[in-house]
Amino acid sequence: MAYIRKRNRRIFGMFLLPAILVLFLTTIYPMIYAGYLSFRSYDLAKIFVPRVFVGGANYREILSSSEFLHSLIVTFKLMAMTLSVQLVLGVGIALLVVQKLPGMPLARTLLMIPMMISPVIVGLVWLFLYFPEIGYLNYFLSFAGVGSIPWIASTNWALWAIAIADIWQWTPFVMMGTAAALQSLSPEPYEAAMIDGNSRWDIFTRVTLPQLKPVLVSLMFLRAIDAFKIYDIIFVLTKGGPGDSTEVLSMFIYRQSFTFWRMGVGAAASFVSLIIIVVLITLFFKSLNRDQAA
Amino acid sequence: MSAIILNKVVKTYGAVQVVHGIDLEIEEGEFVVLLGPSGCGKTTTLRMVAGLEDVSGGELSIGGKIVNDVAPKDRGVAMVFQNYALYPHMTVRQNMEFALRPMKLGKTEVANRIAATAGILGLGDLLERRPAQLSGGQRQRVAMGRAMVRTPEVFLFDEPLSNLDAKLRTQVRWEIGKLHQRLGTTVLYVTHDQVEAMTLADKIVIMRDGHVEQVGTPEDVYAAPKSTFVATFIGSPSMNMIAARVISGCLQADALSVPIPERFADRVSEGQAVTLGVRPIEIKRVGADTPGAMKARVEVTEYLGNEALLDLRVGQHELVAEVPADQRAEPGETVHVCLNTTAVHLFDTESGLTLAE
Amino acid sequence: MNKPSTQQTILIYIALTIVLIVFMTPIYLIASSSVKPSPIMFQKPPAFLFSPTFEHYKDLFGMRPFGKFILNSLIVALGSTAFSLTIGSLAAYAISRIRHKRMNDVAFWILSMRMFPPIAVVVPYYIIFKTAGLLDTPLALIIVYSTANIPLTVWLMKGFFDEVPTALEEAAAVDGYGLIETFLRVTLPLAAPGLAVSAVFCFIFSWNEFLFALMLTGSEAQTATVAVMSFWSSDAVQWGRIMAGSFIILIPGVIFVLTCQRWLVRGLTMGSVK
Ligand SMILES: Nc1ncnc2c1ncn2[C@@H]1O[C@H](COP(=O)(O)OP(=O)(O)O)[C@@H](O)[C@H]1O
Ligand SMILES: [Mg+2]
Repeated sequence: MAYIRKRNRRIFGMFLLPAILVLFLTTIYPMIYAGYLSFRSYDLAKIFVPRVFVGGANYREILSSSEFLHSLIVTFKLMAMTLSVQLVLGVGIALLVVQKLPGMPLARTLLMIPMMISPVIVGLVWLFLYFPEIGYLNYFLSFAGVGSIPWIASTNWALWAIAIADIWQWTPFVMMGTAAALQSLSPEPYEAAMIDGNSRWDIFTRVTLPQLKPVLVSLMFLRAIDAFKIYDIIFVLTKGGPGDSTEVLSMFIYRQSFTFWRMGVGAAASFVSLIIIVVLITLFFKSLNRDQAA
Repeated sequence: MSAIILNKVVKTYGAVQVVHGIDLEIEEGEFVVLLGPSGCGKTTTLRMVAGLEDVSGGELSIGGKIVNDVAPKDRGVAMVFQNYALYPHMTVRQNMEFALRPMKLGKTEVANRIAATAGILGLGDLLERRPAQLSGGQRQRVAMGRAMVRTPEVFLFDEPLSNLDAKLRTQVRWEIGKLHQRLGTTVLYVTHDQVEAMTLADKIVIMRDGHVEQVGTPEDVYAAPKSTFVATFIGSPSMNMIAARVISGCLQADALSVPIPERFADRVSEGQAVTLGVRPIEIKRVGADTPGAMKARVEVTEYLGNEALLDLRVGQHELVAEVPADQRAEPGETVHVCLNTTAVHLFDTESGLTLAE
Repeated sequence: MNKPSTQQTILIYIALTIVLIVFMTPIYLIASSSVKPSPIMFQKPPAFLFSPTFEHYKDLFGMRPFGKFILNSLIVALGSTAFSLTIGSLAAYAISRIRHKRMNDVAFWILSMRMFPPIAVVVPYYIIFKTAGLLDTPLALIIVYSTANIPLTVWLMKGFFDEVPTALEEAAAVDGYGLIETFLRVTLPLAAPGLAVSAVFCFIFSWNEFLFALMLTGSEAQTATVAVMSFWSSDAVQWGRIMAGSFIILIPGVIFVLTCQRWLVRGLTMGSVK
């Protein structure tokens, strides 16, 4: 029942225009600018004045450089680590906190706090926990019989150190989305399965999970998009090190642009990252539309 | 002067035409009801009059002015919505004040109008309540009050009673009728309920699939339906329809044979396929030896207190008869009935139109 | 879900306790360390009972203009919130009411603007703002944060506007109100909870942001998150001050969670989970 007269259509257009204009100027335009920069090289003395057109040289350089490929691999490795743990932990905790027991609403609320904390602060408090020699984490772990771990000082552990901080902050996201979905499920299939005498595991895998799947897919895409952009926590914890063991794509772009002042190369890498994110976003929207169609 | 004139008014949504050129004149002070089954385009027509939908073709005038491109606010109409559309964040008084604000009246005038309206509708004690704190009937009255307080030239109602329970519906229907008598404002009223239409309307507009099927007084549409559609739509229980053929001065339908009523005598031709319409009340129980009596088997009996409905089988035909309760029969019984041939309706089967003048 | 048995209940609570300890410890550490005397900051086992000191907070506000940085954060967050809410809710209203097959695409396009990696546009921003003379001003951050906040507002408010029955707007139209007045007097008041939720999300996002604040501000417009980080880059890590600053920064988010957690799901998943 839309009441849209021709005159109103113009007013609606005026409502929509500022947002589109602002987003165009603040997002699309800088992206185009990044595209422009990616075909230039820079004079180190006048770093912010793009100078020579170099064609695809910047792209050739990053695509053939092992550092760039390495940063892509690290990014996806980190994504796989965080997403898988967040999925399992998040669903597990959701199953706990949706129980109709005293204290569960409070537990749900408390568990949401990490998400609202600035990623820098998250980085800093985990740095506090990981800090070599004095940090509390190894002390806590020693009670579980775990020996001292060189969290951020070792190329073997640094990526896990970052993953753990991210898992700590964003498992609540999966928990929250899953809990909301669980609570909106109709009780009838459960009652039916119960009467039929199916086991709990059967009910979970055959009744619950299939119904949760669309929500979990959406949540995972949102996490993947975020994980692809991860920056602050790494900046605080390792700055990409030790070596290049935690140099994700964002860090690669940052270092190229602001440590080596190779803005053209940074811009070219940025552009590649934009393409990857467009793919992720498109897949995400496709998954949303499919849910709606179903 | 006519208050509202629709001249070949058309509505299309994209490629789909849902109102196919309606012609209608509404006189000043008239209570006109748009009646028809759900989906026939009543609401769409009303909303075009209100200005909530663009008119896709034809001409719409209110008060002598063509208003096709006039915004709703400048049409001098007030509307009572199906779900009342009361502003939930405002009290009853604020709802009415809000409706008056665009008229830029003085403070005392606003207060007077609200007091007067509240008086008429008995809303005095509810003025400081919010819609959520009102019952369905009260909300309905507030919606009317919000429309009334503006003293519009035309009232539009879209199924205003459909959300009320049966008893309240009768009461509010009666109140709307009284209000119209008192205020004398032009009303265009949409409903799918024939009882509302018959009791309230000066003029009923029967719609079907985006067309006007018949316009007339309640008496007209009941007594002289122009088509089989109107004939079956108006009246409860529905008119019995019997497919028949004109054969040597009689209407023949298998076992059933009725002499052609005089008034149709020269309007039918031999062999024509016709539809014979008989209202249930015009089928009477008679003795077996009455001329024209037919044997009928009772299939179902519905006892309604004063009267009873009998589902009868006459040959291959199923007919409903409405008889005084004391004449009812048990299912399985065989009875004799007779059609009141002076009161039958006759329609051309092919066109569905009446054969009466 | 049926009620768990007693045995299951005990297991559930044990598991939940472990989960809560793991997830709450870092927050507890920030709060407690911010008032712990420096000498026992890393004492093992950690001191639970100690006489709290406010020396870190005193340092924070005394030795550096931390108050000014907080003020900067507030200006930027409030500015971006106001700007995004105005522009975003207007657009959301149009998207919610226009029936057009491409409207969905517009909505998704706007949403996707939020998902691009900030690092990819930092350099262009830097150059653009430098040219415009806006480096190290709150205005630069207000503009940049709005790129994330407008899509969020549009997406959230669209959901709220969708829930306002159009019949109410039609009633206002018949009563004599134009579109804009109807929007301001009928629709917007009814979508007020949405405005509040969007405002809080915009505020928290801007308040928490770090990367752009780091790259686009210097000593003048520096925000609190950047200032706290700077205690770390000095010669000796000043944990007391870091924790005191962190604690101040995390307060708005915690208040938000405690007061309107039921909106969090909708906001964070941008409507993909209701
Ligand atoms: N916005 C719309 N878009 C497309 N078709 C519509 C729209 N509104 C109504 N229709 C169609 O127009 C016809 C008439 O609808 P309506 O006027 O609401 O019927 P009524 O009020 O008589 O029940 C229906 O078939 C309906 O499906
Ligand atoms: Mg209708």
